[in-house]
Amino acid sequence: MSEQLKHARLLSLGIFLLCCSSTAAFGASATLTQMIEGAKKEGVLRAQWSQNTFGGGEGFNDFIAGMNKKYGLNLKGQFTPGPDMQALMVRIAQEAAAGQPASTDLYMGNAQALFDGLKQQVLKPIEWGAIVDRRPPKDGSFDAIAADGTHMAIATAVVGIEYNTNLVKGTDIPKRLTDVLNPKWKGKIASTPYAAGLRELAMPGFLGREYVIDFTKKLSGQIAGLIRCGEAERLTSGEFAMLVLTCGGNDATVLQRSGAPLAQTIVQEGTVLHMRYAAIPKNSRAPNAAALMAAYWLTPEAQALLWKHDGLDLHLFPESHMKKDVDQVRAAGGKIVINTPEWLASLKGYAETQKELEKILREGGK
Amino acid sequence: MKARSIELPLFFVRRSTTSPSLLFLASLPIAVIAVFVAVMIWVSFQRGMLGTPGAVYTLENYLAIFADPFLYRVLWNTAVFTSTTTVVALAIGLPIAWLAERTTIPGKTAIYAIMTLGLLIPGIYTAMGWTFIAHPRIGFLNRWLVDLFNLQDAPLNIATPVGMGFVQGLSLAAVVFILTAQMFRAMNPSLEEAAKVHGLSFLRTIHRVTLPLALPGILAAVIYVVTIGIATFDIPAIVGLGNRVYMLSTFIYLKVHPQGSGLPEYGITGAVGTCMIAVAALLTLLYGQVLRSGHRFEVVTGKGYRPALIELGGWSAAGWCFIGLYAFVSKVLPLLLIVYAALTPYFAPPSMEMMRHLSLVHFTNMEWGLVLRGARNTALLVAVVPLLVLVFAFAISWLVVRSRNRARYAIEFAAFLPQALPEVILAIGALLLALFVLGEAVPLYGSVWLIAIVYVAARIAFATRALNGSLLQIHREMEEAAFVSGLSTLRTARRVLLPLLRPTLLSVWIWTALLVYRELTVAVFLGVHDNITFPAVIWSYWYAGGMNKASAVTLLMTVLLAPLIAVFWWLGRRGQVAGQ
Repeated sequence: MSEQLKHARLLSLGIFLLCCSSTAAFGASATLTQMIEGAKKEGVLRAQWSQNTFGGGEGFNDFIAGMNKKYGLNLKGQFTPGPDMQALMVRIAQEAAAGQPASTDLYMGNAQALFDGLKQQVLKPIEWGAIVDRRPPKDGSFDAIAADGTHMAIATAVVGIEYNTNLVKGTDIPKRLTDVLNPKWKGKIASTPYAAGLRELAMPGFLGREYVIDFTKKLSGQIAGLIRCGEAERLTSGEFAMLVLTCGGNDATVLQRSGAPLAQTIVQEGTVLHMRYAAIPKNSRAPNAAALMAAYWLTPEAQALLWKHDGLDLHLFPESHMKKDVDQVRAAGGKIVINTPEWLASLKGYAETQKELEKILREGGK
Repeated sequence: MKARSIELPLFFVRRSTTSPSLLFLASLPIAVIAVFVAVMIWVSFQRGMLGTPGAVYTLENYLAIFADPFLYRVLWNTAVFTSTTTVVALAIGLPIAWLAERTTIPGKTAIYAIMTLGLLIPGIYTAMGWTFIAHPRIGFLNRWLVDLFNLQDAPLNIATPVGMGFVQGLSLAAVVFILTAQMFRAMNPSLEEAAKVHGLSFLRTIHRVTLPLALPGILAAVIYVVTIGIATFDIPAIVGLGNRVYMLSTFIYLKVHPQGSGLPEYGITGAVGTCMIAVAALLTLLYGQVLRSGHRFEVVTGKGYRPALIELGGWSAAGWCFIGLYAFVSKVLPLLLIVYAALTPYFAPPSMEMMRHLSLVHFTNMEWGLVLRGARNTALLVAVVPLLVLVFAFAISWLVVRSRNRARYAIEFAAFLPQALPEVILAIGALLLALFVLGEAVPLYGSVWLIAIVYVAARIAFATRALNGSLLQIHREMEEAAFVSGLSTLRTARRVLLPLLRPTLLSVWIWTALLVYRELTVAVFLGVHDNITFPAVIWSYWYAGGMNKASAVTLLMTVLLAPLIAVFWWLGRRGQVAGQ
């Protein structure tokens, strides 16, 4: 009898679990269907980010074609090259404050910009779990999908030192951060005006504020100028031999394919993972279409397109190219920090340290 | 011959000053400029993200700019840069204008063509071209000098305020040429002939007669170039930003587009802009004084005047060498660079290795949707802005030159003000106005019309300067005769003045069209989606590291602009354009 009861209980539990999963699947399917219907009504998806991100207009057209095919849509895409990630978020916030539609229906940017957007409360929570095909596995405590649904990580860029392979060869390739302070590089290297990488290395638990401030002061006397992360042609032209540090070496990956003398090295101290996030502005004119494109970005075919157009993908997926870089750093014992809006929110003095680093880099010149 | 001044009967004075249509037309752009300035002043008292509860009213922006030692360094750099720019632009533009207008040098149409071509080439390419010439590490001239003289370091460096000023001066030489050519053309040659009769040598005549006569015109050009030099953005951005040499324009840009932490500091920009109104006021007063001195010098002659040209003889070859050298370093070299960059997959110094990589890939992969959107908006701006500028500038000039109302000083001041203010400040004023004041009531934000309004406001100064000068040369008797014959003010303007002003109007139209075609700063600040312009498309490629794609679009833009230039030459040959 007890055996029968046991079987009956197991059967009931099985039926209950089946019902639950069916309900969840039905719920997910209903949300997705609702979004697809909404996207059909929206008709057009306007997007704006930097021309060198995600393949610019060419990449966007491929994404539109892919998502149209996947979701049975006939959306038209309109891409306009825009400012950098932080500037675009500020613009969205101002547009929201002025009651205007957002410049971009779908926002794509980094943790810092997301952090600003979250402070201004301009991002729309989305039930990502209900519309993505596959939820990325976690990396430690890092979850690609934000708990409040305001953003979702879609790609990973690995920070390092980018260099011109004609000018920096063999043993000259920096292995440690301090290698760039070698007098032979004085007046030949560049850094970024926003202290990319350095600002994260300065946080407690990595190299620390004091060490990085001291390093940056020395670096400032060493560099010849400040360039943005996207200006790889200033390395290929030979104007600068190295960029210390990058926002991610993905542009080197893309340019290498056309034969450009460009590569990135990751220093032994470790690296920062600059995540690329998708988010939907509250004042988006096409929130459904935008959310579907973000969900599409996590599919294997879209991840392959990201690799093709921008030399990056999400390191959390097993097939990821970026995963190899991350695994290599971990295998060598290097530290890794994942830059997320939540991580930035948890830090004390991050903004002040960044401002100080920027000032040192900027005013080290004339 | 001194222009006669006749006191008009009160009837004529009233008729010419109280036309409500003209007054309305003259007041409209002035009101727009006043609103932009008011927005800028309003913004200068705020901190935080504008339009949000985080924005607070404060005087901190003013305190911050005066207490910031970095800004003083920036001002010093700007002063050195602007001085160098002005000297170089004058040293090139002035002699070429003199050669074209006062001598028998052959091929004058070609000279005008060369000087006009300068406007087709975006400043970013002049900057990149000169990076390859005189950059301390990759400049071939530097490499050559180091090898030749066995030097330790590169002797030339364009990444300095002086170096950048030199490059900017090459760009602005065309502007000096245009501003002074007309003056040389209208200069009374009798004094030079008198000097010759009294035995003065050629050089002494230039020194003692020609230059003093030309001084007011040159000073006016200097003021004009100085104001452009202070506000110019492209060359300081391309060469200076990367090398940590900051100018006022790039300082403002960084405040509005912080490259890293922090929000845009519109308040600081507003405070700097408000301070610049004082500078603009000073320059306007100076400009007015120079123009008045111009009348005392009596360089403008009346009807029947035919200039006596100086026989150059064998010196023509030297003149053409000078023009040719200028054309090569400022036009041909950047144009070659554009072609080279458009055909190479990535940017690297020219070499045999790179020649093997030449392809049309940037043309075959061109994003036509975006490019055509930019072309359509630019075409619309080129069609509309010059016409509006002419209408408004004519109304303003009429009131300034013909009326006796004291308000004309205020109108003249307001019309010149945009010339002395960086366009970025006007753009920010327009942006904030459209976003936070007009809102949905007047949906200008993100539309091409917002860009058009700023362009009109920014170009009014140039147009009114040209029209004021031409109106001064037309005697009032013509209008008086028309009034006596019963023509209304508007019909007098249409039937009498417009035909007489046609060369100047055409000149202003074509120059405004060219400047609108290549304008970048305002387009970048106000561009959102549907209103992106052709130059903004190029900038977006360049800014994102797509130098080669940007070059391909620039080449396309240059080819599309060719018909406009052809019209200019054709009109010039027919003598319809002032200055040709």
